[in-house]
Amino acid sequence: MDIYLPIAEVSVNWPLLVLLGATVGFVSGLFGIGGGFLMAPILIFLGIPPAVAVASQASHVVASSTSGVISYTSQKAVDYRIGGVMAAGGVLGALAGVELFRYLRLLGQADLVVALSYLLFLGAIGTLMLYESLGQILRRIRGEVVPHKDRRRPLWLYGLPLRMRFPRSGLYISAIPPFALGAFAGVLSAIMGVGGGFILVPAMLYVLRMKASVVVGTSLFQIIITTAMTTILQAGRNQTVDIVLSTILLLGGVVGAQYGARWSGRFRAEELRAVLGLIVLLVGIQMGLELFVRPSDLFAFAPGVAQ
Amino acid sequence: MIAALPPPPPAVEAPAPERSAGTTRQVRVAAAMTDARIRVDSSFSGASIVLYGAVFNPTDAPTDVVVVVRGPDAPVRLVKKTRNMGVWLNSRPVLFEGAPGFYLTASTRPLGDIADFGQLRRLGVGVDHLRINAPQESRTVTRYGVRDVVVSRLGEDYLDWRRAVIRLREAAALYDTDSDGVEFVDKGLFRAVIDLPAVAPTGQYSAEVWLFQDGEPVSVSNLTLTVEKVGFERDIFEFAHNRPWTYGVLCVLLAAFTGLVASRVFRRD
Repeated sequence: MDIYLPIAEVSVNWPLLVLLGATVGFVSGLFGIGGGFLMAPILIFLGIPPAVAVASQASHVVASSTSGVISYTSQKAVDYRIGGVMAAGGVLGALAGVELFRYLRLLGQADLVVALSYLLFLGAIGTLMLYESLGQILRRIRGEVVPHKDRRRPLWLYGLPLRMRFPRSGLYISAIPPFALGAFAGVLSAIMGVGGGFILVPAMLYVLRMKASVVVGTSLFQIIITTAMTTILQAGRNQTVDIVLSTILLLGGVVGAQYGARWSGRFRAEELRAVLGLIVLLVGIQMGLELFVRPSDLFAFAPGVAQ
Repeated sequence: MIAALPPPPPAVEAPAPERSAGTTRQVRVAAAMTDARIRVDSSFSGASIVLYGAVFNPTDAPTDVVVVVRGPDAPVRLVKKTRNMGVWLNSRPVLFEGAPGFYLTASTRPLGDIADFGQLRRLGVGVDHLRINAPQESRTVTRYGVRDVVVSRLGEDYLDWRRAVIRLREAAALYDTDSDGVEFVDKGLFRAVIDLPAVAPTGQYSAEVWLFQDGEPVSVSNLTLTVEKVGFERDIFEFAHNRPWTYGVLCVLLAAFTGLVASRVFRRD
């Protein structure tokens, strides 16, 4: 049941990959995330070269986000105006990110930066999510009243030029913060192979204070554009996209995502966030651990020989 | 024992021997492979080739057979992890050349018993005698009045680096030393099984079959082996490398289309 992947140049068990795609798809449907942060480390663990894993699973993110955006569009829960501004930033960020990744590979520091980004971003986001959702669960159990949320936006959002109206999100703010946020997610998408939803969603909710109903749909729209750009750039510049690998992952992924989305209604939002926060934190710690544990071999091959 | 000695740069490169050379001598070897072309397709998970041959030995002195299979040259970049303030960081990468992408020796006895160090070094037989070096790190200096002494910027660690290249490739089953891999099935008839892992690089391989007598190479037979991607695998690989941008756009369209189809199929009515 093994299949030889033409670009990764390794032989893998394909039913295992379908299962992996389905599992990550289920998780992504359940939590409304892309699932890239989970997929890339597992692929690397299975022996796929990291550069190929990061580049190939981006198209898995494209597929699951596309089906997500379609269903959110039918619920009128996508703000294409602010999503477009963020996507423009995302494309720019992806361009910069792919070049940065090339440069880091040349320096032999790509795996260090990847490990560090996972530790830093996933660790921080996971901790915040866990803290916030556990607090909410505890308050519910004790029967306390949820404290009134402060809906004020940071003042600097109003001081910046280029103000635009985003009626669907209920915003009249400068275009610079969403653009910058999109660009940041674009860089992460190129380096970590993730969609960046785990950064975008909290930032859109708590910094931009967008209407909560449009946040997930809009972030998925931005993620499609950014990861599509990343995939094309990785294929064009680095030739690291394995279409066979991504197709196998897709097949399981889209089915899993649909079932995940159906299951998500059975749980409370804060319980889902607590579980997701835990997963995010664990992946971050696992990826970051290699920075602190003595490696079994002090020497390692650096990818990217000048051919 | 051998590895502990510093590798002196080879003074004389072994001349590329003719196929089944040494015909003027009485003692000679002839060999062939069951398969000279390995096809890498989607079901490829490594290959196993049998190399077989015959030794013509009218003399009384015993002979040894050494099979050396060498893949295409694959330079590697190596980093060393060092601990800085509790964090393991990579050093700058060092480029090593002269390391074949695949290297296997199979012999009737351990190589060190068959021929002496100098002989093996001259012929480049055995992983310890591969001409792996880091040319970008070396420079020539005048030392103790001797001109053009080659020193490496890696300094005393140089051997550790060089050995790591071999060790890491051995761990990936790309380098192998099989000291009883050549088996005599009958008087004068031998066979050796060559296992190519799935990660073996594609390209031209060469197989040398050396015949040693009294520690001297007396005959050699040269064979070639091609490992190539075929069919669908090859089409994808060439498409991805020749038209990378079109390929990337296609990947994205395929992904978006799959997502679209999935949301249609699973739409709740």
